[in-house]
Amino acid sequence: MAQSAHDRRRINGPEESFPPIFDDDDEDITLNTQRSRAPGDIRPIFLQPGLISQANGSAYIETEKTKIACAVYGPRQSKTTTYSEKGRLNVEVKFTPFSCTRRRAPMRDAEDRSIGVAIHQAIVSSIRLELFPKSTIDVFITIIENDGIEGCIASGSLAASTALADAGIEMLGLVASCSAAIVGDEIQLDPSEAEARASTGSVILACMPALDSITSIWQSGQMSADMALKVILLQLNTRCIDIHSIVAQSLLEHRKSN
Amino acid sequence: MSSSSATNPSTADETLRAQIFQRLHPRVYLERFIAEKIRPDGRTFDEWRNVSVNVGSISTADGSALVRMGDTTIVCGVKAEIAEPELDRPDLGYLVPNIDLPAICSPKFKPGPPAEEAQVLSDRLNEALVASGVLSLSSLCIHPGKAVWTLYVDCTCINYDGNAFDAALLAMLGALRNTTLPKATYDEETGRTTCSRKTRSPLQLTRNFASTSFGVLDTSHVLSDPTAFEEPLMDVTLTVIVDDRGELISTTESGGAISEETLLRCINRAKERVLQLKD
Repeated sequence: MAQSAHDRRRINGPEESFPPIFDDDDEDITLNTQRSRAPGDIRPIFLQPGLISQANGSAYIETEKTKIACAVYGPRQSKTTTYSEKGRLNVEVKFTPFSCTRRRAPMRDAEDRSIGVAIHQAIVSSIRLELFPKSTIDVFITIIENDGIEGCIASGSLAASTALADAGIEMLGLVASCSAAIVGDEIQLDPSEAEARASTGSVILACMPALDSITSIWQSGQMSADMALKVILLQLNTRCIDIHSIVAQSLLEHRKSN
Repeated sequence: MSSSSATNPSTADETLRAQIFQRLHPRVYLERFIAEKIRPDGRTFDEWRNVSVNVGSISTADGSALVRMGDTTIVCGVKAEIAEPELDRPDLGYLVPNIDLPAICSPKFKPGPPAEEAQVLSDRLNEALVASGVLSLSSLCIHPGKAVWTLYVDCTCINYDGNAFDAALLAMLGALRNTTLPKATYDEETGRTTCSRKTRSPLQLTRNFASTSFGVLDTSHVLSDPTAFEEPLMDVTLTVIVDDRGELISTTESGGAISEETLLRCINRAKERVLQLKD
């Protein structure tokens, strides 16, 4: 039920409106969960740095149905007056109203903030914040089309890391991120929304392959500890190394063409 | 060898000095270009930036369009929902346009609720769509008095390089043209509306129009399609919306006085532009 509060700053529609109910809704769900790729295959990544001319650094990432744009502004002056020895990293995520199957209100809610926290966790250890006292690095992420929250967090971290590199901010390494869903005994990499809904648990791994270190593990759902470790160490880690080379490649190509 | 290394640092030096000058004295910087009859990005006063429109790329939206006008990038998506109509207008649907200028698109926008510029743009876009009558609201009726379509047309700016209004209007029209609505049937007994996933029909749009914006500097120089650098330096901004049959839909002017001759000249340029954009 779309509860739209009367927002004085926007053009408002009717007080209450409902997404359309389709007569064949029950049949459609079962069709969607059949995966068209192999369990170990991730969706092809299209990554383009330097798309937003107004920002210090930017990146646009597209993986089949997930489209995310990211811009980095900074280092710029901190708004607060308290002195901070290390720089601050501020990650803000915004969904466009048409990005999900049900229209989202333009207001930021808890889901936006939790994705922001996840991406912050993934990239903060890779930036040399001690070089920017009293400054803030702002990372703004806009999710244009959403196909699964795990995919959003993974792609968002990739876009953020690429944008930071594009901005020329000093980092210890590029962050590569990948997600996996566990369905029974099977591990499916890079789940779409339908696949994630049908799974019992999911893991999102963010790491710096260049330094062979992990920056963030986000696990939710039911799985045994052995299963989780197996997923992370065997499959996700190796995938992240592949993804890292994709990111490096796109950054090099972008630099060469400029 | 030595001569090329001697010239390289000095050209890099010059570009740096020019950039610093642009930051510290923007108006003088622009006036120096105007005196040479050219603009900082190399265009003549009358030249438009390249426009590219890409429709239907977002599968979660019922209709979508991505417009790039030079560097200004705007994404627009249409979502259709079902609502009860107003009591005094039982057979009219709703068309709700909105534009959002988030912090991602420019350093001058802070994160948070819509700033003044976004609110003004939303309002102007709403007026333009209503005044033009581009979509007949009675065509959105499913069952009079019980169920009507509500079209939420949301634009998000990804990169703000001036002239967001033109790009946003183009994006909204592109998205509306791309929108298809499922066939809806209202069940009188249960009071529920169910839609068919299989049959979708496009919207009936009545006109095809576009807007053109101009900035006037020192009452005599009319620059069309200003960039984000030129926009705040303009004395007067003028926007003309014309449809493809040459009929004037609206003119908006703010900032100061302009001569009638300038206004007529701009209207004529807008008419040419609409025909240009049709392809």
